[in-house]
Parts: sequence; structure tokens; C-alpha cells
Amino acid sequence: MKYEVPVGPIHPALKEPILLRFTLEGEKIVDVDVVASQNHRGVEWIGMNRNNPIQSIYLAERVCGICNFCHPSCLVMAVEEIAGIEVPERAEYIRVIQGELERIHSHLLWAGVAAHELGFDSLLHYVWMVREKVMDILEIVNGNRVTKSIIMYGGVRRDIKEEHIPKIREMIDYYRQGFKKIAKLFLEDKTIKMRTREIGVLNKEDAIKLSAVGPTVRASGVKKDVRQDMPYFAYPDFEVKAITPDLLTGETIGDTYDRIVVRLLEVKQSLDIIEKAIEEMPKGEILSEQKIIKILAQIKKSEGEAVARYEAPRGEDIHYVKLKSNFEQLYSWKVRAPTYINILSWRPMLLDMQIADIPIVAASIDPCMSCTNRVIVVKNNKEKILTAEELHELSVKKTRRMMR
Amino acid sequence: MNVDEIIQKFKEKGYEAWVKEKEAGVKIKAKKVSVWVSVDRKKIREAIELMINISEDFPHFSIISASDLGNDVELNYHFTVDYGKNLEEKIVSFKVIIPKKDLRIKSITPLIPSAIFSEREIKEMMGVEIEEIPDGRHMFLTKDFPDGVYPWRRDETSPKETNKLYEEWR
Repeated sequence: MKYEVPVGPIHPALKEPILLRFTLEGEKIVDVDVVASQNHRGVEWIGMNRNNPIQSIYLAERVCGICNFCHPSCLVMAVEEIAGIEVPERAEYIRVIQGELERIHSHLLWAGVAAHELGFDSLLHYVWMVREKVMDILEIVNGNRVTKSIIMYGGVRRDIKEEHIPKIREMIDYYRQGFKKIAKLFLEDKTIKMRTREIGVLNKEDAIKLSAVGPTVRASGVKKDVRQDMPYFAYPDFEVKAITPDLLTGETIGDTYDRIVVRLLEVKQSLDIIEKAIEEMPKGEILSEQKIIKILAQIKKSEGEAVARYEAPRGEDIHYVKLKSNFEQLYSWKVRAPTYINILSWRPMLLDMQIADIPIVAASIDPCMSCTNRVIVVKNNKEKILTAEELHELSVKKTRRMMR
Repeated sequence: MNVDEIIQKFKEKGYEAWVKEKEAGVKIKAKKVSVWVSVDRKKIREAIELMINISEDFPHFSIISASDLGNDVELNYHFTVDYGKNLEEKIVSFKVIIPKKDLRIKSITPLIPSAIFSEREIKEMMGVEIEEIPDGRHMFLTKDFPDGVYPWRRDETSPKETNKLYEEWR
């Protein structure tokens, strides 16, 4: 007897509402279908028809609240390449620091969500408390915790001042000291290991064939990282190496546990990058052109196309931009967010798993699918709606069962 | 494989190919290399097969981007090859121009399984008919989105009614 269980379409914690249709045999998942057509905001359309390129920076910032630096960066890089806008050296370093601060906060946010999915709420609260430190730094440096509006064509809008540097150093020390404790809680806890080892496995071949990106593909053993393969900003100076789970555990399985390992190690790597960046940051201007009207005029004159790539916390982000001279808006703009392509990996990960594994496996690619708001169970043609709490309850129950 | 070899392989088969480079980095410089290949729409599968054959690992599919050029529609199939190697990754983009009178192209999903979402998106947003697509449902637009309206187009098929709503808000 097969049952169909739709998960979605609305998830308060999901960046985009999405519907997952599961076909089940008892507890076992035998088929997964993803239906994305739930709420299209037409961001690209607005950039192509309404906004001028500077307004589009702030629009791109709102593609995703958590990755509010990577999308505008990607757009800015593409336009800078077409229009030939130079970026001062100091600005390139500040962009690197901003990008890595974002990675730390995003990975810690994810770690908390993952703990919550497993029913380990005390760990959720602990990790999110630890995350506040980087949010404070973001506020001190940018004036805002979330949408920071820091990037601009030809540089950045706010400098990292002398008085900020001791505070950033203090944050680095704080995380280095706390790292061991968090790593121990996540990687040595028996229950977390049971719920994540060999769960949601994505093997190397599938990861490559399905074009997975970011920590998802690295956890499957592919050393793919834009910062290493095709560096941008000032990243060539840092010689970033892609992180795979075998660096810590000595083996690569490609399961949910490995994806936790990769993200934890990346937080450590980001700390090293920030430390090096604040030490070696050159002095000088942060914007090549102060007058916004001049930049707009230069962009309006430009013609051409470019593809920009950026290693966002969730994976590779790609923007394609085409400009036409004397055309006010971006002529073409295509945003490829990392989750767009990572969703495809859900199928091989979830097949043969159990219903109670859906939240943690789905969350393991970091779409933050933390609470599934409603699930319809079609049983003998009678629909029963499971609420987020009930599905979460199933996951928690499984954890409790395994702890016994 | 270096860029010249890639260009050479495509040119041997009669495709027009060119390179764009951009420098990044402050103290250490690194080059961002993009290879562009112009492809006839009937040959899209052959061109992608050629790339699969010449690249060491399976090429990484990124996205298909689209532009309305007036009488034609331009599709760019973006891939990356040689990933996972320090500073060696290259972007390979296939540029295909399709006349609006006959908006059809063969699906590449049988060769590149991850292209399915992007092809479904191009189909609904640009109105390009993707032949032999294994799953032709809407991707991002709702099921009841009107037929014959394509949001990325700049001609009479663009969503004018939606624009009207926006004009009222302004």
C-alpha cells in the first residue's frame, strides 16, 4: 500500500515556499517529487523592467535574508566586469571579511536548526546564543545585523575602522575557544551520531551528476569551492582550500553527519581568513567613484554580458547579467541561488529513508526547512493534515526511541 | 585541460569559440576564464556531448539564462569544467540564438540530468518549446498562470496585465 505525503507548500523558515510530495510504503520513502511553483516574487523581472542597476543591488539583497551579502556581491561583480569598474584594494579585503562573517553566522544558524530538527533544543539555544557574537560584530561594523547594504559598484559603502579591529579579534578568540565545545556536542554525541550517520547519503557520482554545490557536494568528497577554483575579490591572496569531511574524520560517506563536519570546519576556516584579512588589509580608498550618478551613467553606457560566481554559505551562487547601452535597467538578469540546484539532491538522499528523517535530511542541504508547516497524509482517500508540530514531534520521538 | 585546447577542440568541430578573461586578487593575481561557444540550435546536444567527452570530470551545470533580442531569443547554457582544482576552473557557455517564429530547442536533460529545473523555467518564462523534455510542468509559475504570457519577454507576450497592477500601485 502506497501513501502520498505532501510536505509544504508554506514553511515559515524556508526561504522559498516549496512542496515536496513523498510516496511512502509504510515508513519508507519510495519516491520524491519537488513542486516549486508556490510563490514567485519576480525579482529578476523587477530588475529587468523597473529598477535601475543601483536599486537592483538592494533588491538582490532581499533575494535571501540570510545570504544578504552574496547575492548583491554577485550582481555587482557581473556589472563591474561589463562596465569595467575598478575596485580599490582595501574594498576587496573588506568584501572578503564581510563574506566570511556572513558564512560564520549562516553556518551557526544552520547548526542550531539541525539541532532543533533532531529534538535537541538545548543545543539549538546554545548555538544561537554563540551566534549572537558574530551578529554583534555585523552590527558594530555595518550598523545593521541583517540587510547591511554594504556593497556598491566599485567598492563598499562602509569602512572597517581601527576601533572595530580589536572587537573582531575578540570575536575570533571567542569562537576559537568555543569551537571545541561545539564540535564535541555535535560530533561526539551518541544520539546525533545515530540520527545522522548513514542518513541521507549522497554519493560522489550523484553529487556530480546532479550538480550539487557548496557544503552538500564537499561532504560527498568533491573538492569544489569557488574561492579555491576561481577566486574573486581578494581571495587569491588567502589560498583557500576546499574542505571535505575526511580532513577531520578520515573518511567520506556523504551523509548528514559529514555535512555537519564540513560546516563546522568551514567556520574555523572563515576565522583564519578574517584574521589574515584584518592583518594584511591595505590602506586607501573604499570606493573608486563617490558620485552615484556617475556610476549610473557609466553603467548605462556599457554593453555586454558577464557571469559572476560567488561561494555563498550554501554553495555556489551565479548571476548572469546582460547590459545594453542606453537601456535604463539590466537587459537580462538571471539569479541562480545555491538551493535552486541543491534541491535535486533531495531525491537520492531521501529515497529509502523514513518519514521521521525528512526534517533533518531536508535541512542538511541548508534550505532551513526547519519546521514543516503542514503535511497532508492521504490515507484511504481521507486527507489528514499534519501540522508542523506533529511532524516535528515524529522526528523528536524517533530521537527519543533511539536514545533508549 | 587548458583553455587553448578547449577552444581548439570546439573549433575543430566547426563551432565559433572565444575567451574572456578577468583578473582578481590584490597581492596574488588569479584569472577568471570564460569560454564562449556559439552553437546552432540544432546542434546543442552534439556540442554538449563534445564537452562531456573532452572534460575530465562530468561538467558542472550552472544555469540557462535567456534574453529577448527582438526578433530572436538568446539562450546561454552555462557550465563549469575542471572544478576542484586550484585556480583551474573555467566557465563554458553555449550561446544559442533561436528565431521567435520557430521557438524550439531540444532538451539537454537526457545528457545533463540537473538541467531539468532550468529547462522548465525557460519554457514557462521565455516561451521556448523544449522538445523531448521528460517533465514539462510549470516550475515557478502557478498552474493557473495564463497561457501565452511569458514574463521574460519584451514583446506583446510580456505580462502586461501584471504591469497594469504595478502602475496602479505607483
